[in-house]
Amino acid sequence: MRIIVIAVVFLSVIAGCGPGGQDAAAEDPRGLSWDEIEERARGTEVNLMMWQGDPFINKYMTEFVRPALEQQYGITLNISGGQGTQIVSLLLAEKEAGKKTGAIDLGWINGETFYQLRQIDGLFGPYADKLPNAAYIDWDNPFINTDFQQPVNGMECPWGNVQLAFIYDTLRAPQPPASFDDIPAYVAAHPGVFTIPNEFTGMTILKSWMMALAGDNSLFEGAFSEEVYKRYSTRLWQTINEIKPAFWKEGKTFPETLSALHQMFANGEVNFTFSNNDGEVDNKVNLGFFPATARSYVPYPGTIQNSHYMGITFNAPNKPGAMAVVNFLISANAQLQKFNPDVWGDGTVLDMEKLPEEWREKFKSLPSRRYAPRREAIQDRALMEPAPEYMIRLYEDFRKYVIEAD
Amino acid sequence: MKRINPASAGIWALFLLLTAVPLVFSLVYALLYSFGLTGVLAEGFTLRHWQLFFSEGRFFSSFLFSVGVALVSMGLAAATALWWVLRYRRALNSRVMSLALYLPLAFPAMVAAFLAFHWLGNAGLLSRIAWQLGWISEPRQFPDLINDPWGIGIILTHYAMATPFFTLMFKAIYADNRVGELCLAGASMGATRSEQVRRIALPLLWQKARPTLLLYGVFVAGSYEIPLILGVQSPQMISVYAVTKMNRFDLNTRPQAYIIALLFTVIVGGLLRWGMGRGR
Repeated sequence: MRIIVIAVVFLSVIAGCGPGGQDAAAEDPRGLSWDEIEERARGTEVNLMMWQGDPFINKYMTEFVRPALEQQYGITLNISGGQGTQIVSLLLAEKEAGKKTGAIDLGWINGETFYQLRQIDGLFGPYADKLPNAAYIDWDNPFINTDFQQPVNGMECPWGNVQLAFIYDTLRAPQPPASFDDIPAYVAAHPGVFTIPNEFTGMTILKSWMMALAGDNSLFEGAFSEEVYKRYSTRLWQTINEIKPAFWKEGKTFPETLSALHQMFANGEVNFTFSNNDGEVDNKVNLGFFPATARSYVPYPGTIQNSHYMGITFNAPNKPGAMAVVNFLISANAQLQKFNPDVWGDGTVLDMEKLPEEWREKFKSLPSRRYAPRREAIQDRALMEPAPEYMIRLYEDFRKYVIEAD
Repeated sequence: MKRINPASAGIWALFLLLTAVPLVFSLVYALLYSFGLTGVLAEGFTLRHWQLFFSEGRFFSSFLFSVGVALVSMGLAAATALWWVLRYRRALNSRVMSLALYLPLAFPAMVAAFLAFHWLGNAGLLSRIAWQLGWISEPRQFPDLINDPWGIGIILTHYAMATPFFTLMFKAIYADNRVGELCLAGASMGATRSEQVRRIALPLLWQKARPTLLLYGVFVAGSYEIPLILGVQSPQMISVYAVTKMNRFDLNTRPQAYIIALLFTVIVGGLLRWGMGRGR
């Protein structure tokens, strides 16, 4: 009995020592002027969680962004690794624990994470309209102002814009399928060298393929339609199942991660890999990871184009610092660096027409992509992201009707 | 009334705080989450998550696959380790063999999985050697040793990781329990070499190693990185299945992840209790 009493007392003492008592909410700086926000941001630390799976992106963040922030604001940018799911899990856990000051201030998010974070009310905002550099953002562009059919409304700030691309090796696949309609014939004629990853990029391929089968992109605009989904997903599963035996490993399994598929492409095990960044092939060839014979393209009638964003967390301890960091990330200089295929090759979210002439010229004079198509060449093949429910259903049904189908 | 030493009680309290308390809290939390009684998206008491979970019907195939992988890889590793210890005990004491046994223990599971990926994949090192030797003419002719429905890649990787550990464990038990001397005593009473192994060495080694083997089996059945990289989507090992539910785009599948964790804990706990009890 005494042991239990001592244990309870001990636990109470430990619980009392926790940070809960001092866990006060951080201030909301939106009522301040930008000068005041900058003043509060100076000399602070900002914790950013982002995907760190690409050496070029990591180098851009650590060798360009971090020193520039240090120099401009005296801000120390701490970067921790974590994708959308980790950000959502962290914020969910903090919300459930009632933590008013979180571990991170800022997260690199895309549509799926935005949808989840809006569900749990995990974002601070609207804040994007407070950023001076947001004036240069191409807000009229539906691929930027709308994320998975959800208006951004300043709850996240656009950072980059990309489009799904197919990557192939010109030596191994000199004539890749020019359209989604051509994929079945190609796969049947070249068994064992085509597959799709069972993750975000793979689901983006399935969405694009489903829209191609429908032949009318407007069907996927607006709210989720059960009828549209049922009709065209059924066709999609039928199309895939007909050629499934000619997929890699006879379609009995699919790579669980995109990096595994990239690895198999680099090894020559498959003829195709994919990227949600239409410029990534340049990056990977420059790294020496893909052969110089690798190219990317967008099959007809098109693929999904979307943007990625910076979101400030609902319990960010340093919101002024986070806003200053985002404002820097969307500055012409930071976007120009990122746009360079030799640095990252990420599409800009800035409107060239709004930029001063000097910066417009700098963007124009950048080295062009060598292995990926120019953005202007594929813009007419850009499809809007449909509502998030399409992706939720595709994830479940791809397993049910393709992976587990006999 | 028996007096309790405060220092010893403090240590007990700390032990409970670090082990049993978090576990019990986690299980209660998982249970509440699965019934919609906690969590940001909780809507109040509901059986919906349990109904959805059972209607999907993947848990038991996933559980049996995990247990099967654990049994096969552990059985092979234990058999190999026993054979080495009983047959080549002296050779295992050499510096080279010690290094060969200790080195694999330094590899994290993720590294082991990637090594297996590079060795056993259709375009991996073994496949390239086979191609150089003219046994195959293209990568896909190489047999599927990873990402295969039988879990061959997962089993081989766990086997490679467990064998050195079991060898060191059996070697230590053999020395500590003077198994060699007992075998000699048996021999002086007329036991053949085979009888010494079957009736003295194996029962002793098994008795001492059983708890560790059972716990290692639980570790293998619940492993994550190796089946994530080397497994297939169906059947999926239990941890991959749970994490998939936890990290899904659809946050409404999270309670099902807690149900998987809960059921796995209860079933494995029951099996362990049964397994440990049988040996007493």
